Amino acid sequence: MILQNAILPDILLVLFPFIVLALRIFASKHEKLQWYAANIVLFTVFIWQNCLMLGNTQIYLSNWKIDTFGIFMREVFVLGSICALWFAKDYFDHASTGKARLKEFPEFIATMGFATLGGVIVVSANDLITLFIGLELATIPMYALTAWNKKDSEGSEAAVKFILMGSAATAFELFGFSYLYGFAGSLNMPQIATEVAKNASSPLLWISVLFLISGVGFKLTLFPFHTWAPDVYDGAPTPVTALLSVTSKAVAIAFVAVLVFGPFAAVQQTVAPFLALLAGLTLLAGNLGALKQSKLRRFMAYSSISQAGYILVAVLGPETNAKFAIVYYLFLYTFANYLAFFIFGIVGQNRKEDFVSLRGLSKQNLTLAIGLVVALMSLAGIPPLAGFFGKFHLFFAAAETKHYALVTFAVLNNVLALYYYIQVLKAAWIDKPEVEPCALQITCRQKAAVIILMIGVIACGFVPMLANNLFAGLKF
Amino acid sequence: MTLLNCLILAFVLFAIGVFGLLTRRHLVGMLISIELMLNAANINFVAFAHFKAADATAGSLFSIFVIAITACEMAVALAILITMYRRHKSLDVNRLEDLHD
Repeated sequence: MILQNAILPDILLVLFPFIVLALRIFASKHEKLQWYAANIVLFTVFIWQNCLMLGNTQIYLSNWKIDTFGIFMREVFVLGSICALWFAKDYFDHASTGKARLKEFPEFIATMGFATLGGVIVVSANDLITLFIGLELATIPMYALTAWNKKDSEGSEAAVKFILMGSAATAFELFGFSYLYGFAGSLNMPQIATEVAKNASSPLLWISVLFLISGVGFKLTLFPFHTWAPDVYDGAPTPVTALLSVTSKAVAIAFVAVLVFGPFAAVQQTVAPFLALLAGLTLLAGNLGALKQSKLRRFMAYSSISQAGYILVAVLGPETNAKFAIVYYLFLYTFANYLAFFIFGIVGQNRKEDFVSLRGLSKQNLTLAIGLVVALMSLAGIPPLAGFFGKFHLFFAAAETKHYALVTFAVLNNVLALYYYIQVLKAAWIDKPEVEPCALQITCRQKAAVIILMIGVIACGFVPMLANNLFAGLKF
Repeated sequence: MTLLNCLILAFVLFAIGVFGLLTRRHLVGMLISIELMLNAANINFVAFAHFKAADATAGSLFSIFVIAITACEMAVALAILITMYRRHKSLDVNRLEDLHD
């Protein structure tokens, strides 16, 4: 029955960074050892989480809650870490696009492990202290990762911008939490939820909601607070950009979902118009920003801003459908985003990370060019790729609570999004390169990752996933 | 000394923090402003715990946790500041203009 114990994979995940660091200290001669250990632990955790039975909520020590949404979100976080681990490996093996080779891989893995753990804490928190610690544990490592390349002046600039914005956001959130505590007199989420249901028009509650929304707006890159994202995504090392656009975004979305469907469940439809406005503006800002980009990473930053808007649309829906849609979309988003990043990473190894560098990709390497089509068309939401079904569920959740105007607006925005995704594909498939492009160097690991992720993006659309866990109920 | 006094104090501190964050152009000054904002929240927690809350321990505990977590955050911030100083030879945010649209 050890496979059914929901808390053991969490404990393993807590130990994960320490295992890697211990191997670094005590077995520093074997350079490959930490990489193998990290892979083994993360895959074990991922498979273990896939074996858990869904449907029952377990609470450990009164504030560690494991429910269906939590288990799925854990899988998203761990999957994101595995992809980031594989993606980052190359940047520690050799230099790329004029930037120096990154150093201290084991520490990088451990820092990434802490950020993943932070996400897990956010989805299992049952009181505000745990939630706050989780959120900070998910963000603080990201600041350090952004500045990982100490020799790179762009990296340090990005990290400074990131940490100033991030700490200010933390302060706003904390101020919101303090009013929420004053309003409810308790930090326990179910108790706050009953207070909110009883006394929904208290000014303290609404001040707290206002501060919390502006705080999370920074982390989720919602419209008026999104301006830091392109700079940070552009300056950070590429694997960190990928991690930021997937894990960091998933943590922020999980935080919103935990709050909106937890303590604020009673006032969800009262907050909804405000969230709808933010979601709509975020979509538009992300899409308009992406139109004029020519750098790949900056382009991905704007694309991920608009994706955050799409995911926020689902938060307006009824709880079960919204949570299902969010988790499903995050899975696809992880697959598609990392697929795009793997391809940009391979292309960017010897060339500038620019649209121009993609020219002639279809002649040079057909697999990569097809992978790019699959990734970007999935992000744009073209059937029969998984992104279409993901977006369908997101919009469907919002439509169920009659937010038709927002859904229409989001669908129209999708057309805008299609335009700039196709711009990238045009560069890869149609545009002729001006000079003969230098050869691509692809390792077996990269090739395997691209093919697996491609299968993931396509299969997610057809396989009835999330009906239950992959190996649920496996006895051991 | 009533709850309202404490809340006003906290709010004024927070406002000073936001004002400082917007007007200061030196990174250390901006970090101090952020610290002010975080501590304003701490005062709120302690005040609510003392005057109002049913569960008073939780509020005081939260402020202790916040102090610890903020210390971690500031440690990372200062480390980043040092790399920033080494690269740019300045701590003025107006000089941060390599990354832009």
